[in-house]
Amino acid sequence: MSAEMVSTRIGFREGLIALAEKRDDIVFVSTDSLKVVKGEPFLQRWPERVIEAGIAEANGVAMAAGLASAGLRPFLCTYAGFLTMRACEQMRTFVAYPRMKVRFVGVNAGLFGGNREGVSHQFIEDIGILRTIPGFTILCPADGDQVKQAVLASVDIEGPVYIRIGSGREERVFPDGTPFEIGKIRILKEYGSDVALFCHGFVTNRVLAAADELSRAGIGATVVEVHTIKPLDTEGIAAVLTRCGYAVTIEDHNIIGGLGSAIAEVIAESQPAVLTRLGLQDRYGESGFPDELLDKYGMSVPAIAEAAREVISKKK
Amino acid sequence: MIDSERIRRLEEKARQTRRDIVEMVYRTGDGHPSPSMSAADIITALYFDALAIDPSRPDWEGRDRFVLSKGHACPALYSALARRGYFPPEELLTLRFMDSHLQGHPYAPKTLGLDATTGSLGNGVSVGLGMALAARIRKLDYRVYVITGDGELGEGLIWEAAMCAGHQKASNLTVFVDNNNYQSGGTVGEVTGVYPIEDKWRSFGWNTLSIDGHDFTQILEAIESAKRVTDKPTAIVAKTIKGKGVSFMIGDNTWHKRVYTAAEYAQAMAELGGQQ
Repeated sequence: MSAEMVSTRIGFREGLIALAEKRDDIVFVSTDSLKVVKGEPFLQRWPERVIEAGIAEANGVAMAAGLASAGLRPFLCTYAGFLTMRACEQMRTFVAYPRMKVRFVGVNAGLFGGNREGVSHQFIEDIGILRTIPGFTILCPADGDQVKQAVLASVDIEGPVYIRIGSGREERVFPDGTPFEIGKIRILKEYGSDVALFCHGFVTNRVLAAADELSRAGIGATVVEVHTIKPLDTEGIAAVLTRCGYAVTIEDHNIIGGLGSAIAEVIAESQPAVLTRLGLQDRYGESGFPDELLDKYGMSVPAIAEAAREVISKKK
Repeated sequence: MIDSERIRRLEEKARQTRRDIVEMVYRTGDGHPSPSMSAADIITALYFDALAIDPSRPDWEGRDRFVLSKGHACPALYSALARRGYFPPEELLTLRFMDSHLQGHPYAPKTLGLDATTGSLGNGVSVGLGMALAARIRKLDYRVYVITGDGELGEGLIWEAAMCAGHQKASNLTVFVDNNNYQSGGTVGEVTGVYPIEDKWRSFGWNTLSIDGHDFTQILEAIESAKRVTDKPTAIVAKTIKGKGVSFMIGDNTWHKRVYTAAEYAQAMAELGGQQ
């Protein structure tokens, strides 16, 4: 794959700068993570609006709660797992429970995001953890400009927001400026209603390619981007399931707790369908190049197409 | 100088705070009485003297903030809020009951006048530091006060926040350590080994004071002295007595969380000048 790169880290920074140009309540809380998102241009323009917590994520999150309670709108960006695991309790008890408007941006999400760093920096549990915490909005934009759009779209919504981003080596999926509508699924391709392919994030181009491959083989897939995991567009998803009846979820996350689980819940409660979940099969990844890792762990274009064929073959 | 009338008034308010603690725990059948008693004088000094607050404007942006990091001592705080007029004192007796705005541990969105949600130990210094830095960014001149326990100093997050606040020279942040020498499982010396407390804060870049946490003159002077320091946050290590004010609670750590019998209630109220 040699698509144009649109860094999600830069997308976050650009979104933050665009907000800070317009309003003076935007602050960046760093846990020695400013440089991770190449935040120097923000620091140069607004040094007083950067709060450095040190390599101390729990401190950063609890401080952000204090900042938000005093009328500021903090954005805390650091590694997805150091946030959602090390500072999980602070995200829950001090931010989500009192409905603080803190915005979290988790980098290195998934195998693709963590790639060569290995499992300690490769986070496949973040969505599952946050999905169980009441009050969180969870957003998984597909590329850099979509991250920027998600930052802009979510700045004023109630309660905390989590935006899942990567390493900075993401492919373009959407043209710049494509709006990000929180809480709504987006149908990216509709070859037919033989099977629905639900996805989000950095695997989206792979899913689109698999749909093309299936189409050439006479199988009509509908590709659905579920960029808002919470609140989930249950109605929109149920409508797709009503049409298709067979579904595959593809996510760079553990299949437990993330998109696959969310779609399974809709299937169980609203619209019966047959489902296969692709993603990490409740196991850890390893160091490697991002595309190699997605291929090895079951998210290659042929694997996605094959999963679609298999799920359809379960037709009675 | 702090005149004796000011001190006498605070001593009377503190007896009221302690009577409320006993009432709440006895009438509602739950709560942490002795950790509330050890912090009662500091909380009384803050709410009835030191804090720049206006109960008719709980959302006033320029108000001083208070964070009860040892959230289980909230009966003392709820009493102070009620007696300052944020809500009717009768509502104190709804503590920990369903549909009450008084949660078992402080929850700011529900309780009028409450600045911070706490309860899980170790977090209050970070939350208070965030508030203190927000004042700097927003060019407001309020101050932030935090009370932590001494056993609570076992939480690593306290020291993350201490390092950060010292580095940030957050001089509008004052932390009281309620040094009652006990935690749930025994003395802090037995369980954690938190001493020496002052040296730890000092080494993290804090102005550090040691006082008797039941002496209002010392409490108020320490607060004033912290205001004069412009390049460091202040930690006030307050020697306190767990259960202070009720003789049979002192030295008996079962009162960390225990409910009074009718006889104990009567004796406690008598010692606190109750049923007046």
